[in-house]
Amino acid sequence: MALSGVEIFKHLPKTNCKKCGYPTCLAFAMKLAALQESTDKCPDLSEEAKKFLGAAAEPPIKGITLGPKGVKVGEETVLFRHEKKFVNPCPIALNIKDTEGADAITKHIADVNSSEIDRVGQMLRVDLICVTDESGDPARFAAVVKQVADGAPNAGLILNSSRPASIEAAIGHCADKKPLVYGANAENLDAMVKIAKEKKVALGIYAKGLDALSDLSEKVKGMGVTDIVLDSGARTAKEMVEEYTMIRRAALKKSFKPLGFPVISFVGRDDSTLEAAVASIGIMKYASIIVVNSIEKWKTLALLTLRQNIYTDPQVPMQVEQKIYKIGDANENSPLLITTNFSLTYFIVRGEIENSKVPCWLAIMNVEGLSVLTAWAAGKFVAGSIANFIKESEASKLVAKKELILPGYVSVLSGSLEDKLGEGWKVVVGPREANQLPAFLKGRA
Amino acid sequence: MPFVIPKDTYAGKVNALTFGSGDKAVTVGGENGLPFLSFESIIPNRPLIALEIQDVAPSDWPDTVRKVYDGVSDSPAKWARFCQDSLGAKIVALRLAGTHPDRENRSAEDAVKTVTEVLSAIDVPLMILGSGHIEKDAQVLKAAAEAAKGRECILGKAQEENYKTIVTAAIANNHKLIAMSQLDVNLAKQLNILITQMGFNKDNIIMDPMSSALGYGIEYTYSVMERIRQAALVQNDPMMQTPLLCDIGPNVWKTKESAAPESELPEWGSLDERGIVWESVTASTMIMAGCNLLVMRHPKAIEAVNKLVSELI
Amino acid sequence: MIIIGERISVIAKKVREAMAARDPKPLQELARTQFEKGANYIDVSIGPAEDDGPQLMDWAVKVIQEVVPAPLCLDTTNRAAMVAGLKAHNNQWGRALINSASGEEERLNNMMPLAGEFNAEIIALTLTEKGIPALAEERCEVAANIMGKAMECGVPMEDIWLDPLILPVPFQQDKCKESIRAIRLFRELNDPPMKTTVGLSNIANGAPKELRGIITRTFLVLLMYEGLYSAIADPNDKEFMDTMKTVDVLMEKRLYAHSYLEM
Repeated sequence: MALSGVEIFKHLPKTNCKKCGYPTCLAFAMKLAALQESTDKCPDLSEEAKKFLGAAAEPPIKGITLGPKGVKVGEETVLFRHEKKFVNPCPIALNIKDTEGADAITKHIADVNSSEIDRVGQMLRVDLICVTDESGDPARFAAVVKQVADGAPNAGLILNSSRPASIEAAIGHCADKKPLVYGANAENLDAMVKIAKEKKVALGIYAKGLDALSDLSEKVKGMGVTDIVLDSGARTAKEMVEEYTMIRRAALKKSFKPLGFPVISFVGRDDSTLEAAVASIGIMKYASIIVVNSIEKWKTLALLTLRQNIYTDPQVPMQVEQKIYKIGDANENSPLLITTNFSLTYFIVRGEIENSKVPCWLAIMNVEGLSVLTAWAAGKFVAGSIANFIKESEASKLVAKKELILPGYVSVLSGSLEDKLGEGWKVVVGPREANQLPAFLKGRA
Repeated sequence: MPFVIPKDTYAGKVNALTFGSGDKAVTVGGENGLPFLSFESIIPNRPLIALEIQDVAPSDWPDTVRKVYDGVSDSPAKWARFCQDSLGAKIVALRLAGTHPDRENRSAEDAVKTVTEVLSAIDVPLMILGSGHIEKDAQVLKAAAEAAKGRECILGKAQEENYKTIVTAAIANNHKLIAMSQLDVNLAKQLNILITQMGFNKDNIIMDPMSSALGYGIEYTYSVMERIRQAALVQNDPMMQTPLLCDIGPNVWKTKESAAPESELPEWGSLDERGIVWESVTASTMIMAGCNLLVMRHPKAIEAVNKLVSELI
Repeated sequence: MIIIGERISVIAKKVREAMAARDPKPLQELARTQFEKGANYIDVSIGPAEDDGPQLMDWAVKVIQEVVPAPLCLDTTNRAAMVAGLKAHNNQWGRALINSASGEEERLNNMMPLAGEFNAEIIALTLTEKGIPALAEERCEVAANIMGKAMECGVPMEDIWLDPLILPVPFQQDKCKESIRAIRLFRELNDPPMKTTVGLSNIANGAPKELRGIITRTFLVLLMYEGLYSAIADPNDKEFMDTMKTVDVLMEKRLYAHSYLEM
């Protein structure tokens, strides 16, 4: 629970000296409460007050940065995405066992390197690789870690071993790339913490059940490691939903610091489709890192798309680029349609055009991501602005016949739009619903 | 600092809905907490899956899913029997897609014939779905409801513009009702109120919040469903306590992802597995948001989802 | 917001006579209409009932729950009658609500243990032998004492509904704000916040008939804003219920739909 301005004010000097740059201590306190200022600005704060305010200002779930590209996890603030945007999309990690052959490992690395896809203008990929110590042989483990670190320089590494000797052997190959050292437990704690402190890396800790996990986490923090990633041992989908919900509730609703850390989830299954379904549960219910056993392209496409969807800001609509899209083998005799750049509108309209098998030009106009009716009501999708967009675009070069098909919901604009377009343009009123497009387009062909 | 399990208590619960007749009747819903949190709630019934069949051959379905039913999909009765007997379907959903005026424009009488044939072919519960055309559905579902009297089917979908006729038919023929609104929690509540004010028992309603496919607005459906459950369980809103239905087949299987061959988009990987995972993950997302009854198409996706549900309960 | 329907009270002539004659119909009629109008609990007030309290309470509880599927609020200072009511209460639609304990030692000792014994919830009035405290903070002290006794009796904090007591505005206008403030302070006494209740109609006692509605409804809004959990009131008062529902919608406790008032 964050402190209010008034509660923070109680711990300030209350001298209104203005050294912090604010006219009064209360004004400074309000800024601190909004997390828009740092307590460093006040030179007269007692050590006690600094400590107390510092602890209270900490986010309920710690943020940790991993990998050479700086993938961030943690920092979540809500249980439901409709309350507020989820903050840091959970990276996917491919699990590689150190007992696999060199060729297999080479292929895994190549798959990770080529995993990047473009969805709605966002570049998404498999961000992490988890090397798992199955061999028990520190030299072998280190060799595989080196192979992976060298072969996938952009990927973050998770070193998965409960043998401190294996971690010691391998860490040299990647310590400067912000790896996650996973595998600390009650038995190997001292040695693992020592490595984490020396090499300044994040530490993944495992204990079965949340009582044991809380104790372990408190211990680790007390020993001086604060970048902690939690594994409660949840492996079935039921355990995942229940335990990750408990962890997030404890951290957010009860300010329970021992569980205020990101969560790593191992979702491996023999059946890849089932693995995808289980991974999807992790994406929705609070996992911060998801470790999978395979990354077939069809699977990562689905998981990265779901992650993108769930982590979308509910307040800000996703938008696509303003331009005239070619759908199918469109030529100068193909129909020209226009709609807005709300990504959902774009995908649905585009999808229906594709279903119709009629090649078309689809002009997408930037209205800041609003749907057709909303954009029209907001005055962004009106005759004047549509006419400008069409005239300034390459539309007249693309089509032989100057005919523009307008979404049926804004048929009221057709006359005025035709006037404003001038230059011989004709406006045709299209269907109201996207699913009527196939019949409409086939009817005109 | 000892860990204490942070349990929530809920003021309300989800209604349990039983449909179908005889010993094949099934029940969905009845849980008294948010999805799958059995440490603080009871989940008496697992989410169920209805297999979709149509009154006309599915020539518009992408290959991946169409080919599963080659050989049976030319006859709705054969198709229904195949789903029940060979695929183990606990529920069959008959979509009267051919009655849509922009398609085959089959009549209400044609629909009655199909419904009757299908009912003779199976004994598992039947869901009867219109084509989605507002005006036509009212006539078609009225006739279908009469033809299915005695079988306690789920009839749908009733929408704001056509619910009166469909509700009347459901009351007269003792069927359950799907109430569908367009991704809006307040409109969903209003439709349930209007339906109940006609004398339809609110315990016989199942809500369809309007599904979207993965990548095509799924997060809107997901959040509307989570908000519906907050209203039902936390606010104890009696108008929001119906079970939830997600009809995902049409949306999933018209996406590019379910149909584009790998040769066209190599970065998307193998087509068949892609289509199956697209339906599976769309379904798992709906289930996590509280879906009690799914309508799906591909048996492999259904298999994966059933395995997931078994892990979740 | 939770409504406890107040109409079945021995103060009303119709009820008094029905109870005396053991005629179930008037009670059942009142119970039914209150339930249909949205009461979540039905209050059964038998008064001190010195002669036959337990039998009367036993009978009243049974005849009422015969016709409404709702938990009851058992309203009497007679301990034996309260016990009889708790024994007779059908818990399938919710646990019984004891009305009430208070900060008075005898009443606290009589009633609080019953909540533990019968696993019932309990209303507790924050007054003492000295009467109703003037300030909200003083009511909090009484509340804290009550909560302490609850812990001794094994009654969870979530089962206590604190009542700050309402004084009528025509006579004690200066005290009305304190009741409102008390609701907010009571909630802060625990995490999760303590439940609260009020006997709402008392605010307009002594005011002319035509003023009672507007005074009661507006007072309700102020109390609900401070987080009032429940009220003992008459759900047949449509304007009152409409106000309550509208506050719930505005404070996002109840989902909006155009027909929300009809629910």
